[in-house]
Amino acid sequence: MKDFNLILSGIFFTLAASFGGLLISGEVQLGTLGRAPAEEGGPLYPPRETGLAIQGRQVYLELGCVTCHTQQVRPAGQGNDIAKGYGPRPTVARDYVLQTQLLLGNHRNGPDLANYGARAKSDDEIHGHLRSPAAGSTMPAYNFLYVVDKNGVTQPTERAQALVAYLKSLRIDYNSPEAKLKQ
Amino acid sequence: MSQDHHRQSHSSKSNTGSTLPVRLFFASALGWLIISSVLGLIVSLKLQLPSFMAGCEWFTYGRLEVLQRNAFTYGWIANAIFGVNLWIMSALARFEFKDSWLAVCGWLGWNLTLTLGLGAILLGHLNGYALLEMPKEVAPALFISFLFAALWPAVAFVRRPTGHVFVSQWYIIGASFVFPVAFGITQLLVLWYPTSGVLQALIHSWFIQNIQLLWIGSSAISATYYFISKESGRTISAYYLATVGFWTYFLFAGWTAPASLLGGPIPVWIQSVGVTTALMMLVPVIILGINFFGTLSYNRGFAGAWNNTTLRFILVGIVSFAVSSALNILFSTRSLNAIVRFTDFTVGQQQLVNYGFVSMVFFGAAYYILPRITGSFWPSAKLVHLHFWSCAIGGLGLALHLLICGYPTVNSGVMSYYLPVIFFVLLQLVGHIAFAINSFVMLLASARNTHDNTHA
Ligand code: HEC
Repeated sequence: MKDFNLILSGIFFTLAASFGGLLISGEVQLGTLGRAPAEEGGPLYPPRETGLAIQGRQVYLELGCVTCHTQQVRPAGQGNDIAKGYGPRPTVARDYVLQTQLLLGNHRNGPDLANYGARAKSDDEIHGHLRSPAAGSTMPAYNFLYVVDKNGVTQPTERAQALVAYLKSLRIDYNSPEAKLKQ
Repeated sequence: MSQDHHRQSHSSKSNTGSTLPVRLFFASALGWLIISSVLGLIVSLKLQLPSFMAGCEWFTYGRLEVLQRNAFTYGWIANAIFGVNLWIMSALARFEFKDSWLAVCGWLGWNLTLTLGLGAILLGHLNGYALLEMPKEVAPALFISFLFAALWPAVAFVRRPTGHVFVSQWYIIGASFVFPVAFGITQLLVLWYPTSGVLQALIHSWFIQNIQLLWIGSSAISATYYFISKESGRTISAYYLATVGFWTYFLFAGWTAPASLLGGPIPVWIQSVGVTTALMMLVPVIILGINFFGTLSYNRGFAGAWNNTTLRFILVGIVSFAVSSALNILFSTRSLNAIVRFTDFTVGQQQLVNYGFVSMVFFGAAYYILPRITGSFWPSAKLVHLHFWSCAIGGLGLALHLLICGYPTVNSGVMSYYLPVIFFVLLQLVGHIAFAINSFVMLLASARNTHDNTHA
C-alpha cells in the first residue's frame, strides 16, 4: 500500500475494468445497430430528420429544454410511462441510431416528448403553447421566438418554425424489431 | 466552538509554498459558491414564477439551470477540492512546494476557462449532457489546467520523506487521477468523436458516476478521514478495514453507472450489472461508516465534535453521507427506482450528497485550513454560527423537502411546492455570504500582512 505505483496501477485497473466491462461490451452489442423496417419490405425506421427538424433540434438544445423534458419511454413494469400516454411502446436503442447528440434527459418537470409528434395538434396550437404554456405550468413562455409584424400580428421566427418541425418529428409510433406496438 | 476558531496557527511552516495556491483556490471557490447560489435562487424563483426574467433568451430557465449546476460543480466543488487536497497532502507528506507558480497557472487556467465555458452556455452554446454542457472547445484547456492545478498532491506523495501512508492520501491520489482520465475519455467519445446512439448515454453515466463518487466523493472522504482523526486527536477506529473500503469503493463505483439509467434504452443486462454493483457499494459504505462514526463515538466524542467548528460541519457531512448512501443503494433497486426516476426525489438525493456531505465537509475543512494559512483568527464568531445554521438548515431542509415532497409533483406544476425550495435556497445563500465575508476579510488581511512583512 505504501507504493505509489501500486495505488496508481490499482486505480487505473479499476477504471479500465468498469470502462471495458460496460462500455466496450456495450459497443460490441450496439455499435453496429442500424435502422430497420417497421414491416417486411417497408421503409427504414427511424426516418431521417428533415433539414428544418435538424435546425429545430439545435434550438431545443440551445434553449435547454432537456433540463425539463426527457425523450425516453420506459417499459411497462419499470414506471408508468406508457400508462401516462408518453408512448405506445418503450424506446429502444435502435430509436436513437441516427442522433448525433442524444437528448435523453434525466429529469422531468414536464411530460416526456419521445412521442410528442404523434399527439401534437396543429402547428398553431404548438406555437400557442410555446408562447403561453398551460396555466400553472412551470414551463416559461418563449416569446422571444416570436415577432410582431407590421399588421400587429404575432409571427413565429424561423427558429420557432424549426423548433415546431422538430417537436413534430419526435415519434416512436412504429414497430421496432425490439419493441413491437400492441395490436 | 468559540475557542477553536480563535486558536492561532502553528503548523503553517509544514506547508511552505502551498499557501498561495491554496489561498487562491479557496478564494475562487468562495466566489463560485456565491455565484452558483445566486443562480440557484433565480432558478427556483423561475419555477415559482415562470415569467420571471423569461423575456430574455440568455436568462431562460434551461440555460440558468445548466449554468448553476456547472458553476457549483466546476467552480465551487472543484476549486475546493484543489485547495483541500493540496493542503492535506502537503501537510501529510511535508511537502516543500517550490514551483507553486505552476499551480497558480493551473488555478488561473481553470477559472478563466470555466468563465469562458459558462459565458458560452449563457449565449446558447450548450450540450445536452449534464456536466458536459460546456462547449467541447473548452475541454482541452480545462484538461490541461487540471493537470497543472491538481496533480501536485501526487508529486507531494512521491517526494514524501516519510514512509508512512495515511488513508486520506490514497483517496486524494485516486481523485487526482480519476478526473482527467474520465473527463478526457468522455469528452472524446461523447463530444469530439461521438459514439453512436445510446452508447453516448452509457458513457455519460459512467462519467457522472466516476466524477461523483471517485473525484468529488473521494476528495470529501479523504478530508473526512483527515479532520476526524486530526481534530478528535484519535486514530481511526477499525483502521485495518480502511484498505478494503478504499479498494472496494474504487472497484465498484464505475460499474454502478447503468443504475442511473434504469428503464432506459440500453440493454437490460447492463442495467442489471449497475443494480448489482450498486448493492455491492454497501461494503465500502459500511466500512467508511465504521471508520467515521467509530472514531467519533469514543468517550463522548460526538459532544466534543459538536463543540469544534470543523467537526461540527463534518458531523453533518457524515450523517448526510450515511443517509444518502443508504438512499442511493436502496433506490437503485428496480422497483423503487421506477417510482422516483426523473422526479425531484433524485434532485434531493444529489443535494444530500453534494451539499449535505461534500460541501459541509469542505466548509469544515476551510475552518481548519484558512486560519493556519493566513495565521489569523476568524473575524467574527457570529458569522461562523450564521454560516453553520443557515447552511445546515437550508441544505438539509432542501434535501428533505425534495425527498419527501419531490416525487409526486412531477408534471403537476403545484406552485406551493416551490415556496419552501426558494426559502431553503435563500437560507443557503445567507450562510454562504456570511462564510464569504468572514473568509475574505481574513484572506485580505493576511495578504496585506505578508506584503508588509516582505517590505519590513
Ligand atoms: C421549467 C421547465 C420547462 C422547460 C424549461 C420547458 N418545459 Fe415544456 N413543459 C413543462 C411543463 C411543466 C409542461 C406541462 C404543462 C404545460 O403544458 O405547460 C410542459 C409541456 C410541454 C409540451 C406539451 C407536452 C404535451 O404532452 O402536451 C411541449 C411540446 C413542451 N413542453 C415543449 C418544450 C420545449 C420545446 C421547451 C424548450 C424550448 C420546453 N418545453 C421547456 C416544463 C418545461
